[in-house]
Amino acid sequence: MKIGECYVGWATDENVRNKGASGGLVTATLAAALKSKLVDKVLVLKKISEYEAVPMHTNNIEEVMKTAGSLHSVPINLAKYITGMDDKTKVALPAKPCDARAIIEQAKRNTINLDNTYIIGLNCGGSMHPLVTREMLRQVYEINPEDVIGEEIAKGKLIFFTKDGEKAIDIDQLEEKEYGRRVDCRYCNIKIPRNADLACGNWGVIGDLVNKATFVEINTEKGITLLNNAIEAGFIEMEPASEKGIAIRSKINSAMESLAKKWMDKIFVPIEGSHLQYYINALENCINCGACKAVCPVCSCGGDSKCLIFNFANDTYKISMFHLIRFLHLSDSCIGCGQCTDVCPVDIPLAQIQRRFSNIIQPKYNYVPGMDLRIPPFLEVK
Amino acid sequence: MTNEEQKEWEPKIVAFCCNWCSYGGADTAGMGRFQQPTSTRVIRVMCSGRIDPAFVFNAFLEGADAVLVTGCHIGDCHYVNGNEKTKIRFEFMKDMINELGLEDERLQLNWISASEGEKFANFIRDVTEQIKKLGPSPLKMNHKRSW
Repeated sequence: MKIGECYVGWATDENVRNKGASGGLVTATLAAALKSKLVDKVLVLKKISEYEAVPMHTNNIEEVMKTAGSLHSVPINLAKYITGMDDKTKVALPAKPCDARAIIEQAKRNTINLDNTYIIGLNCGGSMHPLVTREMLRQVYEINPEDVIGEEIAKGKLIFFTKDGEKAIDIDQLEEKEYGRRVDCRYCNIKIPRNADLACGNWGVIGDLVNKATFVEINTEKGITLLNNAIEAGFIEMEPASEKGIAIRSKINSAMESLAKKWMDKIFVPIEGSHLQYYINALENCINCGACKAVCPVCSCGGDSKCLIFNFANDTYKISMFHLIRFLHLSDSCIGCGQCTDVCPVDIPLAQIQRRFSNIIQPKYNYVPGMDLRIPPFLEVK
Repeated sequence: MTNEEQKEWEPKIVAFCCNWCSYGGADTAGMGRFQQPTSTRVIRVMCSGRIDPAFVFNAFLEGADAVLVTGCHIGDCHYVNGNEKTKIRFEFMKDMINELGLEDERLQLNWISASEGEKFANFIRDVTEQIKKLGPSPLKMNHKRSW
């Protein structure tokens, strides 16, 4: 195996293969890493329902095996859950492109040791907000959210399975009605996590293997270690990917990227009239709860940060200092994951406001956050 | 605002000066008796690298019409490279201030050494004139919450 090579693989365990999205390779690789003590623990999402899951550190292989399957309606970012660990603990985790980007941004700020972190990247076309999804199921799909037993995104359609059957609707149609993917996922243009150790997904799996195998691209030495380890432990089987599969994968990727570009232009229309009034209107409802900072996966300051000094109810400025400092501080590192928008109790579209600043500054310095560990953060001076 | 009032209106300009160069420059301007407007409030910091973006934003929110960031010339910093840090931070601040809808002139950076008294006085005079043309900062007029 070499860096840059592509394979299709599947789990040898039939249970995992059936339960996991397309072949269960990721679940099996994580389990194998635990089994052969390549890592001390694994960070996975423990499923509670289709709309809820809790991140969990575990060294129990059974628990890992149970987590097989995708959860599009749990838009969580895992980066913060592996920060500040000691130097000896090794951890493996599955990661969307935004998770992997956040992990690398954290690693630049020395809160994560990348040598001890095995990142299995997952292709991601976007995730959905659980509350919006439930409403969408009632309004558009006309099925009870509790009846849903599975979901899938295939060929531009969002499919929900119930015990009576399935129902598919075009994602474009849903997004016109403001349902479907989260706003920040729509304009996100990194769909294949080439910054992670492995990039896994079902794009590029063709022929008989559709839904039975996972396409995996190797990005780093650590990725090779992970796969070799899983093969030796007998957890997965792999074969080289076909030329056609690789071509199809890159075609899907470029289609997704051009769609993201379109959304970018649609969402970030230039502000008409007074910029100041726009930002005042957007931010004056802030109740200083601080949730946006607590959840931000690239923020590495912790509890003693400068922005928090200004985060109290006496902060009577219409544009609070708290947000101004955060906007500046994150203007180089914001990855646009949209966690802040998701948690805001007064529905301020914080990620989009942050992106208005970042969209100016990041291209100016040709800086794409979270893609390469070697490029230092911009506010850093030697 | 009537024409007469506008004539009388003096902008409030906050100037952050580093202890070793530009504060000395301001001193030299005084000693050399260079006339300059009384619109500035000088705040001395030990190094221009100490000028936190939070200071600048807070100055604007508290009603400054313009904020000046001044320090030693690049290469002359008393603390080796403090002003290089200022320079990068300033670029970021500038982009943000522009996006917030404040005019370009309201945030300015200038390197002034301790001997350049005339440069300091001229700089203050120029900025005061520019800000007088622009009028009060929009952030100042409408910055407090009603509750």
